[in-house]
Amino acid sequence: MAAARPAHGERIDHWHAGLTVGDSPSRTKEPFVCSAISPWRLFRIWAVIGAQSFGGGSATLYLIRRETVERHGWLTDDDFSRYWGICQIAPGINILALVSLIGWRLAGASGALLSVGGLLLPSAGITVGLTSIYAGIRDMPVVRAAIAGVVPATVGLGLLLAFSMVRPLLKSARSDGHASTLVAVILLLVSTIAAAMARAPVIAILWSAGAVSALAQWQFAPRQRSPR
Amino acid sequence: MSHHLELFWIMLRAALLSTTGTGNLPIVHQDLLSRGWATDRQFAEALAIGQISPGPTGLWVISLAYFVGGLPGAALTLIAIALPPLLVLVLVHGLYRRFGHHPATQGFVRGLALAVAGVFVVVLTRIMNTARWNSTSLMITLGAIVLGATRRVPVFVMLAVAAIVGIALF
Repeated sequence: MAAARPAHGERIDHWHAGLTVGDSPSRTKEPFVCSAISPWRLFRIWAVIGAQSFGGGSATLYLIRRETVERHGWLTDDDFSRYWGICQIAPGINILALVSLIGWRLAGASGALLSVGGLLLPSAGITVGLTSIYAGIRDMPVVRAAIAGVVPATVGLGLLLAFSMVRPLLKSARSDGHASTLVAVILLLVSTIAAAMARAPVIAILWSAGAVSALAQWQFAPRQRSPR
Repeated sequence: MSHHLELFWIMLRAALLSTTGTGNLPIVHQDLLSRGWATDRQFAEALAIGQISPGPTGLWVISLAYFVGGLPGAALTLIAIALPPLLVLVLVHGLYRRFGHHPATQGFVRGLALAVAGVFVVVLTRIMNTARWNSTSLMITLGAIVLGATRRVPVFVMLAVAAIVGIALF
């Protein structure tokens, strides 16, 4: 553990230097950045991934990893998991944050923009196409009946999603001790009740929960970590 | 046109203030329903379309924006969801390195995600209200949970089966 720490820090430094190459040409001697990959080539690769990854985020993530780590060797395993870790606290869709990081690393600012565009354009185009077809037939009785079957299934999948979001959070809270677990359970219950009862702005509910949890973690976490 | 710009702002704000492809759902739901621009039924339809279309989770907003504002609405929403993730580059250049492993940061992310899950369940029950509440629909919900938990059945297949059950029984 002690030996791994400095190595980790060094990698981050390297990686930071690599990332800044895009906006400061004086540092281009940094060997960490891959030799020029055309941003349009990146665009094509992301577009293919975006259009063929049926089955939601995990399928997309799997394809991104296969393409960048296994097939082209642009990133190490370690890079990939570190990037993905950072993207957990990025605003918006995490996978878009991930491809913008990878795009920046491989081809600078235009790489980041074209990567996000490449992943989004074909898949969003297909989404719009499906929606417009659907909008044309949505009032047919047979479609209404079909939707009456699809809605409960969507709700079921949504509940499953909520469960899979909550489970790892409670697990990590439990490993932080009883106090953290209690805070997590209370936040979950209170935010659910607040959303169901009150006319409070949802943003206020979400961010107060974040703030309370941040304070609680700040209070409870250091005592856990000091022995290590 | 101001209608479209407001839609853009709603989508941008929701994506900026949340994480993941469904974290913005509670905010978008409240903002659009309070203006009377979208219905729970449209949310359900957009979520279903989002699940069968390719790409990252979170494209359901594109589908919803098409219902609300047509093609221009969908295009503006596409821009609105593409911008916030780019902020990760700023995050990397300093914030994450300094604060990423701070307990308060980890705590904030956890609290936000817990609240999203809680509010999400409330939104789902409202969406469920748009379908008929009876034993058949509850069985479909249960079936989707069980099949989904196995991770062996593609979402597309599940929704197709649910549609056929709907046509046969409703």
